[in-house]
Amino acid sequence: MRAFLKLLVSDLKQFTRDRTALFFAFAFPVCFMLLFGLIFNNAKTSFTVGLSDEDNSQVSQAVSATLDQMAIFKVTTGTYDAGLADIKSGKTKIFIDIPSGVAAAIASGQPVAVKVYYDPTDTTDTPVVLSVLQQAIGAVNQQITQQPVLLTLEQESISTHQLNYIDFLVPGILAMSVMFLGLFGSLTMVARREKMVLKRFGATPVKSSLVVISQVVYRLFVALAQTSIIIAIARLVFKVNMVGNWLLLAGFILLGTAALISIGYFIVSRARTVEAAQPIIQLVQFPMMFLSGIFFPMDMMPAAMKPVINAMPLTYLGDALRQIMVGATPIHSLWLDAGVLGVWLVVCMILAIKLFKWE
Amino acid sequence: MQEVVVNVKNLVKSYAQVKAVNGLSFQVLSGETFGMLGPNGAGKTTTVEIIEGLRTADSGEVSVLGMDVAKVPARIKQRIGVQLQAPSLLPLVNVTELLDLFASFYDRSLPVNDVLKMLSLEESRKVLVKNLSGGQQQRLSVALALINDPDIAFLDEPTTGLDPQARRNLWTVIEGMRAQGKPVFLTTNNLEEAERLCDRVAVVDHGNIIASGSPRELIQTYFKENAIEFDSETPPPEMVMQSFPGATQVMVKQNEVTIYSGDMPATMSALLKYEEKTGNASRMKNLRVREATLEDVFLKLTGRKIRE
Repeated sequence: MRAFLKLLVSDLKQFTRDRTALFFAFAFPVCFMLLFGLIFNNAKTSFTVGLSDEDNSQVSQAVSATLDQMAIFKVTTGTYDAGLADIKSGKTKIFIDIPSGVAAAIASGQPVAVKVYYDPTDTTDTPVVLSVLQQAIGAVNQQITQQPVLLTLEQESISTHQLNYIDFLVPGILAMSVMFLGLFGSLTMVARREKMVLKRFGATPVKSSLVVISQVVYRLFVALAQTSIIIAIARLVFKVNMVGNWLLLAGFILLGTAALISIGYFIVSRARTVEAAQPIIQLVQFPMMFLSGIFFPMDMMPAAMKPVINAMPLTYLGDALRQIMVGATPIHSLWLDAGVLGVWLVVCMILAIKLFKWE
Repeated sequence: MQEVVVNVKNLVKSYAQVKAVNGLSFQVLSGETFGMLGPNGAGKTTTVEIIEGLRTADSGEVSVLGMDVAKVPARIKQRIGVQLQAPSLLPLVNVTELLDLFASFYDRSLPVNDVLKMLSLEESRKVLVKNLSGGQQQRLSVALALINDPDIAFLDEPTTGLDPQARRNLWTVIEGMRAQGKPVFLTTNNLEEAERLCDRVAVVDHGNIIASGSPRELIQTYFKENAIEFDSETPPPEMVMQSFPGATQVMVKQNEVTIYSGDMPATMSALLKYEEKTGNASRMKNLRVREATLEDVFLKLTGRKIRE
């Protein structure tokens, strides 16, 4: 027991002195989260709308005033040509043209159109803006026709909270960090084998299993520390709310770390040098990072990739963490997630024990 | 009566087609420093690692401190000290931490400070292993072999790669162990080291012991001659020198001449007479006579120098 505690303390100390390991455990996931969070999380509060009032009548002013009152729009008025030029150059996404003669047409009882120009490539913002615009025009219409509003729609959101990209991203970042810790962390054993440190341990009475268990346990500690820091920053910077059970979260982090450690040991079990082991790890790590749905929703992946995706342990870890942390819609049940991770853990552990070369 | 602390009988170990160890038998006795001397690839490291329980023998018997290596390796490991040939240790641990860690592996251990002092590592106690010089790492590696206060220490080429000063310091440490009555098993390809430190030496080549005994015995048994050496640009022909009375072997390498002789005065006077007669006496430089060394014994036994 004394030997184990000394080994564990020593492994933790070595970790804190290893700049590369520290970078991948803490700095990299945090930077990644801040970067992606800032790029994709700018939920728009207002849209700039170009307006050209060629009619300059009571009616056109009513339209312009109605749009201006709506908090969602920032209206910039100008000439027709300028407005069209702005949309072509991408300065604005929506341009509204009230042609001359609108008021006159309405006075004579003729229906008349207000023209909206928009950029169809912007698939996220345009539909929102167009539908709001419809409502605005409808409201103006009502003012003009003086018809009473009989039926209204009362909106009430029943989802407890809105999931946005950062909520989706943070559990993915946790899964990624766990993967780095599990896979790259296994290089330590390869380095120790290569430099004959394992052989030196072998010349003492210490059991080799203790040396391995210490390496696993220290990484479980690091995984929990890593998770706490990432979640703390996510809450501080992006106001991400944690909805699930902390213990369940810790449980899945530990299970995921253990599973990835055992995969790590299995894939490097025969690599002679750290240099040889690194590409093997990358070969496993890269596809998992991008295919397991930790950064992109699963429905974005081509159907042909589904069997691969469904075999990846990280898919299940990501799914479980997302459910627990932000209450995302489950892809699999938590039991299935835990089961698949457990199978990876046990199978790779058996293979690693069988195949691992000590010298 | 000295006890047998290491007993090796008919040890055989092959790698693929190569017989690394080919039926070795020897004993190490309590209190002695035992040297295994031979060139690289002679089978020294394989032998010592089998005794330490790091490799298994193909056949033969090995016991350490009366225990069978094949049966109770863990119990033996408690009581032996091991220094491996050039292992790099955990790079991100400092000297004290590493000794402390290794101490925790054993039932019995010496205070870390004592071991630091023994190997003059006190000043680098807080230095990370990766920042130590080669000599310091080597000393740390010996320190690890001594941390459990072993009943016998195995040092595999402990001074290889050290500068002369560091080598001499380490020799003092090994002599200190001898003074404490602790047996040391030393492998080396340094003849001077073997001659200075070892009570007994086994000379190995190609997995066989080709000679053994104390350095003095070996020299007397295999080398009764003295060596006459001198430098000359115009040495006498080898045939002529061979015919000098007492001369047993002549070696000429460029300008350096060595004549081994069983009757040094007779050979010397014949040499000088010949040189005066041919008028080359004034061209002889550095004429000297020395006793044979292990180097000469090795040369005689194997026909080549140990470094080759």
